[in-house]
Amino acid sequence: MSNSKLYKGSLTTIILKLLNEHDKMYGYEITQKVKALTKGELKITEGALYPALHKLEAEGLLDVEVAKVDNRLRKYYKLTETGTKETVNKLEELAEYIKTMQALMNPKLA
Amino acid sequence: MKLTKQEIQFIDNYLIKNEVKYWDVRLELLDHIVSAVEDKMTNEGVSFNEALLEVHHKFGNRIRNGYTYRFDFNKGLFIDNKGFKKFTLKKQKEIRRKHWNTYWRTFLPFVFSFRFLMEFLVLGLFTFIGYQYSIKSGLLVLISGVIISEFTKLFYGGLKKFKSKSLNIQMAVASSLLMTQIPFWIMMLFNYHYEGVESKPYYILFVIFTLLVIMSRHGLNNYISIYRTYKERFALLMS
Repeated sequence: MSNSKLYKGSLTTIILKLLNEHDKMYGYEITQKVKALTKGELKITEGALYPALHKLEAEGLLDVEVAKVDNRLRKYYKLTETGTKETVNKLEELAEYIKTMQALMNPKLA
Repeated sequence: MKLTKQEIQFIDNYLIKNEVKYWDVRLELLDHIVSAVEDKMTNEGVSFNEALLEVHHKFGNRIRNGYTYRFDFNKGLFIDNKGFKKFTLKKQKEIRRKHWNTYWRTFLPFVFSFRFLMEFLVLGLFTFIGYQYSIKSGLLVLISGVIISEFTKLFYGGLKKFKSKSLNIQMAVASSLLMTQIPFWIMMLFNYHYEGVESKPYYILFVIFTLLVIMSRHGLNNYISIYRTYKERFALLMS
């Protein structure tokens, strides 16, 4: 991830959240979606995205579907049943983290 | 702007020259690079060469070797492939984890499957017949269960190129030769440990080899499933 080390720990949560909202996505599509949603603020690098995707696949949270698109094969990632459950946990964890950080940074708002 | 078949082939060859030799690793890189190059050419108005060089760099590969006054597109693409090497190594690690997790997740359902229980019963029967001749014959029959499973893994599907050039298949078969050696090492250790003992506890060997037979047979089952998945993907790639 190019912008900040702070985002690094949330990469898997970001991927899981995106896949939870879409039926299936391929690698490049994920990078572009994140870039568009954050208006270019967050750019996921290839060197960070694929190891994270492969790790989630190895853990059984993602499933892979391969299809032929424009003279090449495309690997689509989608959530497994365990992956869907894990997404809920990860999002709750992230919300809790944001709340804690808010309390620390701006006690009046928390 | 969509890339032509020749341009896609060029990128595939460039990946091969950058030592991304496994087709199942290359397919994901190829799709990403093609998508990124198409995107850059359409939205940023850059040329094919410029776009490819930029994407090559984004994967963590260096494009310059020191200071160069005149930049060479072809040299830039082949000066360094550190990013791709890292990509393959990380993928290899995750494939190992994936195979390991799948192995244990499917272990009990396989062991209690009717087919395996029947096979196990037949092997048990032959082991018993061998045991009637001598203890060593019984043990050898049992070991043959491991050897057959591991050699089937090694030679399943013949010596096809897609098999040797698939990282997933190669990782699944990686421990086979080692597994064929393990029973003999255990036997050597056993004989060394109980040297001079009149009645050796051979039941220990029967228990260990039975476990090895089960593990090895399940390994073969997993391997066949991986082999079929990648055979299908390769056929799709070639279609």
